[in-house]
Amino acid sequence: MSYLHLKVPPTRDVRLKPCNAFGGKLCGLVDGQKQGCLTGNGRTFAQTTGCQLTLSMTMAASIPNTVVIYHGPVGCGASSLGLTGQAKLSQLARGNVDAVGRVWMSTNLDETDVILGGEAKLEAAILEAERRFRPHAIFIGNTCVPAIIGDDIDNVATRLQDRIHARIIPLHCEGFKTRFVATAYDIVYHGILRYLLNGEEERQPVLRDEAKEREYEVRSKRTVNLLNVGSMGYVDEVELVRILNAIGLEANVYPCFTSPEKFVKVKDAALSISICATHDDYFVEHLKEHYGVPYVLNTIPIGTDNVRLWLLDIADFFGLRQEALKVIEAEEAELNRALEPLRAMFRGKTAFVSTGEIRAGAQACMLERDLGIKVVGIRAHHYDQFGEIVFDHFKGREDVTINVAANQPFEQVNLLRRLKPDLYLGHGNSNVWAAKQGVPVLPIYGPNNSYLGYKGVFEVATRLARLLSNPKYFNTLGETAKLPYREAWYGEDPYRYIQHTEDAI
Amino acid sequence: MFIERPRFSCPLGGAMATVNALPGAVAILHASPGCGGNSNVAIMAAAGNMGSGYCGGASVSASGIGEKQIVFGGSDRLVEQLETSGEVLEADLFVVITGCTAEIIGDDINAILAEHRAKNLGGPPVIHASGAGFKGNSYFGYDSVLQSLFKQFLVPGRTRVKGKVNLWGIPPALDVFWEGNLIELRRVLEGIGLKVNSFFTKEDTLAEVKAAGEAELNLVVSPVNGVAAAEVFKHIHGVDYLVTDLPIGAKATAEFLQTVAQRLGLDQAAVEGFLHREKEVYYHYFSRLSDSYADLDLQRYAVIVADTTYALALSRFAENELGWLPKLVAVTDPCEESARPAILQRFEQGLSGHTQAVVFETDTSQISRRLFERWPKPDGTKYYQAFSPAFVIGSRLDKEFADSIGAGHLSVAYPISERVVLNRGYAGYRGGLHLIEDLFSVVLSNR
Repeated sequence: MSYLHLKVPPTRDVRLKPCNAFGGKLCGLVDGQKQGCLTGNGRTFAQTTGCQLTLSMTMAASIPNTVVIYHGPVGCGASSLGLTGQAKLSQLARGNVDAVGRVWMSTNLDETDVILGGEAKLEAAILEAERRFRPHAIFIGNTCVPAIIGDDIDNVATRLQDRIHARIIPLHCEGFKTRFVATAYDIVYHGILRYLLNGEEERQPVLRDEAKEREYEVRSKRTVNLLNVGSMGYVDEVELVRILNAIGLEANVYPCFTSPEKFVKVKDAALSISICATHDDYFVEHLKEHYGVPYVLNTIPIGTDNVRLWLLDIADFFGLRQEALKVIEAEEAELNRALEPLRAMFRGKTAFVSTGEIRAGAQACMLERDLGIKVVGIRAHHYDQFGEIVFDHFKGREDVTINVAANQPFEQVNLLRRLKPDLYLGHGNSNVWAAKQGVPVLPIYGPNNSYLGYKGVFEVATRLARLLSNPKYFNTLGETAKLPYREAWYGEDPYRYIQHTEDAI
Repeated sequence: MFIERPRFSCPLGGAMATVNALPGAVAILHASPGCGGNSNVAIMAAAGNMGSGYCGGASVSASGIGEKQIVFGGSDRLVEQLETSGEVLEADLFVVITGCTAEIIGDDINAILAEHRAKNLGGPPVIHASGAGFKGNSYFGYDSVLQSLFKQFLVPGRTRVKGKVNLWGIPPALDVFWEGNLIELRRVLEGIGLKVNSFFTKEDTLAEVKAAGEAELNLVVSPVNGVAAAEVFKHIHGVDYLVTDLPIGAKATAEFLQTVAQRLGLDQAAVEGFLHREKEVYYHYFSRLSDSYADLDLQRYAVIVADTTYALALSRFAENELGWLPKLVAVTDPCEESARPAILQRFEQGLSGHTQAVVFETDTSQISRRLFERWPKPDGTKYYQAFSPAFVIGSRLDKEFADSIGAGHLSVAYPISERVVLNRGYAGYRGGLHLIEDLFSVVLSNR
């Protein structure tokens, strides 16, 4: 499927034709997607979503020793203002003692630039970024305005590349181009593939150490790329590496939080391991096609069922199934003993889950299978061909409400009023609206907490138990917070504003 | 010119924060789908964790125009979104905020709103504020919403009411302590006998905002924010305005109140009585620190990194009330070359050595360079005079710089992601005391 010859990779809208608006039961979603019936869905009432620029630049900025330049009006980098401290924390957690947090610039386009073009400002910003910070890479995020007025950021990058040491990586992540924020992952991976992997070779030492080279070659056969686009916290990285080590594999984590000069080694790995198809399908497929690195992509290792599926996929590739089964058996037994005393608290409880499709399906499955909490509703930011396998546990379940929406809290508040779950596990931006309805909330991902692997099951269980033992903060919110929705809205069909069109908004 | 780590977002972000803070008002974005989401991070996380409020965050209504609308126009989409917003959302006022894409393609918002109003008689009023990113920064967005309110929402032709004033110049979110500041300034203005309309606090109502045209005077407590809107107000409603600095602490607040009293011709004796009582109370608490200040040598060299309004207010407070020595005052919002002399003149009124200390610097990494242009770098000699003990009053972005020079640090200016701010304010008498508490709590945090 290589798109690497293109300056601009296709959006998810075009490449995967996902669905971003659906309400109903799982079978309708799975079948509708297969038949291509849901691609055109939109909403006649909509609420603001994320921007692919925000996500692209957050991912790019997490790579140490980089500067990100927002080419656009000054507010396009606004999200950076709230993320400075976290960027530093994440780098510190991985032993980067020189962590400075996010370094970003804005070309600060004004009305004159809209008329005359903004390339000169971009050029000045790149040169100054090099002078001030001497970074390894400079990512340029193109925004709506320069895309409409026709600035050629690729040309600027090419023109300046010979003059500066940093690799200049243009990213075409204009917000208006896609309804699917996940396009951001493709954009950043595209930039890494085109500008960091292509042409960047590791320098060969003058005196070659043949013993070391042979060792590297041998170890490469048992070394895997573990992919993290930023949503996996350091504790999760440690847990997954632990599990991989247990079956005899070594793992390097890419691309977030890893210094770009190490990226060349991606090509030498025996296998790429994704924890989420929404993140990585573009990257792993290209790595396979261009560098012959095969991959596993089926599921996210959340909950024992999905950890098992994930690990066996990997083990099968290396012919280590028996070893993996032994590890699984021992880990599950140990985990079950630890979970047993907690399960009593979860008996009879219900939960609602809301986040990206892969995580949503797996986390919901974990709640039912590992903890015995009944899931009454699942929301996914979008739904595409990669979703079916993680929703497998819920096949045929008419009692589970399925909603596809990127945030759109108006649909969520309507659903929660009807379903009245005891717990809500959700993504940032949606969480607060459940909290204000009085539902105790556990954030479903976060850079400083554990979610993945066996450890993740236990950690989530203990956090949920803690939440249930004192939900008073949320109870109080539910009694006192005022939501902006009209009372009549709660009586309406929650999916009233979802429309099917041939040509989506 | 590019900016490295700018401390503000775009007009749309500023406008959104402003509308969210207005009682009963709800924003509708006519913009690319992610503009709201992107700006929300800057509002919710970077403004003292102020959160999404009534209808902010992911609840913000948005047309989310994409490639199709950029080619064929976005009017139909906005018409639809206006209609459905009225069905779903409970609002006393809708404010349509247009972003870059909508303004470049040139949808005729006035015509769309006129048609919508005609079709929805009796529905909540709908006004429009420009939020195009290329028109400026979030301070402009604040001004833009004020201008729209004054032009499209206020009832014209009201008769003046003596003793009534409108108060603005404190942009929600961009001044992280906006609500606390407004509440305290309301209190002290009421203390000298005025009736105050401050638009954005819990004590304000949309009905009062609507009647703002009957004020005797508009008070703008910032030499930059909301001044253009004050001109518009004067032009439309004939109400004059007074521009002052943001008063922090007893000295600045007394001066502020005297200026206002003089301008409105208030009863001097009554005003003095109030000032006297406030001063007594203020210095009663102020002196509690005196033992520690005297025992522990709490005088500091100060670096102040803030927008124009706060840079002025904080440097005066540090010098005049704390007895600190502001050696670098970096003004971080863009200030046109032509506007600088007037700002520098304001610094002159409260800061000794201002010509040496004040710089206009938008770029975060350059603050350090600016300091060591003014203070010799360590030169290896035995009697090098260190820049110590020092304190940086700035934003979250200045913490690394403060660490690098071994200085204390408190975030007072936007962005502030590491503090929780509910109704805390630094303006006025009570605000000055809060600031003393917070600054010296940092200084003594290891005690």
